[in-house]
Amino acid sequence: MAGILSSALNASAHPKNRSEVTQTTFENLNKKTALILFAVAESVLGEGFLVKAPRFIETVDDFLNYQRAAQRDNLLLALLVAETTFGLMIGKLQGFSHLSLADRRKILQKLRSGTAQQRNIYVAFVNVSAATYYASDLTWPDLNYPGVSVDHPQILNHPPPIPWRPADPRPIED
Amino acid sequence: MAGTIVEGRNVAEDRTLTPDFCIIGSGAGGGVCALKLTEAGFDVLVLEEGPNIPKEKGPAPAQERKMLNEREVEMYKLLYQEGGTRLTKNGGVKVMQGRCLGGGTAVNWSACLPPRLETLDEWQKRGLPFTRQNLDSYLREVVNYLPVVRNDKYNSSARKFQLGCARHDIPTENLPNNTNKCRECGSCGVGCPYDRKMSGFVKWLPDAIALGANIYTDTRVDRLVSSGDQIREVHAHFIDHKTRPTKRKLIVKPTKGVVLSAGAIGTPSILMRSDLDLDKRVGKYTHIHPITITIGKYPEETLPAYGVPDNMWTPKFAPGPTGYLIETGSFFPVFSASATLQHGDELHRIMREYFPTGAISYAHHTTGFDDKEEYGTVELDDNGEPQLDYKIPKANVVPMRESLVMMARIHLAAGASSVYVMRNPPLEVKSDADFAAIRKIDFTKPQASTIYTVHVMGGCQMNKDDKRRCVNNDFTFRGKKNLWVADGSIFPTALGANPQITIYSLALWAARGICEQHQRPFKLNHQQGGELPWPGY
Repeated sequence: MAGILSSALNASAHPKNRSEVTQTTFENLNKKTALILFAVAESVLGEGFLVKAPRFIETVDDFLNYQRAAQRDNLLLALLVAETTFGLMIGKLQGFSHLSLADRRKILQKLRSGTAQQRNIYVAFVNVSAATYYASDLTWPDLNYPGVSVDHPQILNHPPPIPWRPADPRPIED
Repeated sequence: MAGTIVEGRNVAEDRTLTPDFCIIGSGAGGGVCALKLTEAGFDVLVLEEGPNIPKEKGPAPAQERKMLNEREVEMYKLLYQEGGTRLTKNGGVKVMQGRCLGGGTAVNWSACLPPRLETLDEWQKRGLPFTRQNLDSYLREVVNYLPVVRNDKYNSSARKFQLGCARHDIPTENLPNNTNKCRECGSCGVGCPYDRKMSGFVKWLPDAIALGANIYTDTRVDRLVSSGDQIREVHAHFIDHKTRPTKRKLIVKPTKGVVLSAGAIGTPSILMRSDLDLDKRVGKYTHIHPITITIGKYPEETLPAYGVPDNMWTPKFAPGPTGYLIETGSFFPVFSASATLQHGDELHRIMREYFPTGAISYAHHTTGFDDKEEYGTVELDDNGEPQLDYKIPKANVVPMRESLVMMARIHLAAGASSVYVMRNPPLEVKSDADFAAIRKIDFTKPQASTIYTVHVMGGCQMNKDDKRRCVNNDFTFRGKKNLWVADGSIFPTALGANPQITIYSLALWAARGICEQHQRPFKLNHQQGGELPWPGY
């Protein structure tokens, strides 16, 4: 049933083309769902998010491999439902990806306080977008996050007092 | 002769194997049984759904496992069930479970608490044989073998917690860890790259392999095939590095038996797929410790990702059927971003304000003591994959609110200017006046807040009540004489403590029973040592 619905929605969805989405081969997404995902992520993260997360679409596409099949299908379905019906939530007939950023954020706001299903979609969209964005090293300077110890061994070997226990003069054991 | 690890993703043909014992799962229960049964002279085969984590040095100083690079998304895909995105059926709880060599022991935060005495008493009422006294030798074995130690190097979250608790006269205690010369990278939750966490792939499994055990990774068990009261075969298939079937199959024909240690979601799902659940009791009464989380924002930089993540707690609120343990941790960008329940400029503001100066505390909530509640149920979806249908028990709603209030109080007392509560919509607590909003959170409503769990228990419980019992007191599955269950699924209630030490200890008990049944030697080799690391236990 979900498969039939997905096929029907996929046929009727005509997401806005974005020059930023250059990927042409996918494992789980297709060109349409990739464009909708881009529009969703832009509404969560803001314009230009690919500058700091250039592999965003590729990362999500790969990550979907690891999800339970039914959960993966639900996310893909949610993207298609968003494109084909969510405009109506704010009285617009356009597809989600064709709406202005402000309108898309109005929809997110409505989803977060909507029905259980709508809240689940809100959380899925926000989690996928935010987690993938902040997985990118290029966003870490915004958080003053130096990175992981295997890339920056000085985190382990920093002479005492090391920053996260400034009052403790003991060296790290080796 | 030493055994080996075969990576199922590289197996190019169908295979059939005939060990004495087939152990399904390489986590806390499976690792222990693998070692003890191999020590007893059995030919042991372990099947693990997740990937191998080979010992291969990386570029950083003393990085023992090159594959473990601490990068969250890559490690969630590699080490966790469903890439770390496992959810309960209604989407209300994020379920973080290991899926790799070592299972949950590879990804836990190293916290080592013994079984809660109050819980053992409750279990005795339900007919379980375990007491503080008769578990003592098993606890000592685990503590001395791993070892379990008191690591008193505290990260910023622990220090803030300690300070805030002191200002409220709340006692804090060191929480022992199974680490050895921890390097304080903070990355326990995404696999220790330095082999300083004594996880299954560092201790139990290599020792078992040295004695002859064989392990197949990337091997997903489809079903057990039985006739009469015996399991005859285990049917499995191999999966690739992206968890897709490779089309190659494995059939195991164990001559002596099967030990199921696939965890509290995996074990029931295998039993259900095997049609061994004739009266539909498997998967019922599955419990979690729902986790509530707070992040305090402090005036100074805290570098919250680094340092020992989980070695400080307070026992003050632990007692009772709905008690809670507050512990501290470390946190990383992806985890933080996916818990904020925020979008747009607010998402980035929260990340930029709370991450650099944040300190985390969280509470594990005890559940499962009220027999009138049904708690969770493991089900199979249309593809035969497991999912947990779980709703937060009503009895836990008030304690969950109060744990958030208490953690917020502790942060504010320690100097936090605000405390982030992952409510939908998010809540920033700046004074006691904001506690009223916390006390209105309806945790029974999915997505009213971000709730995690890292401990799933029950679903295949030991119980004297014939309507609930799936596993007998000798760990055999009801009606099958050569099928044992040795993992957290046998718990009749949630434990009320981090469960790895309890699962290790109960798995030792199970292994002893198997050895005795087959008149093979079973020995505890590490009884010499000092006091247990839990004062007063």
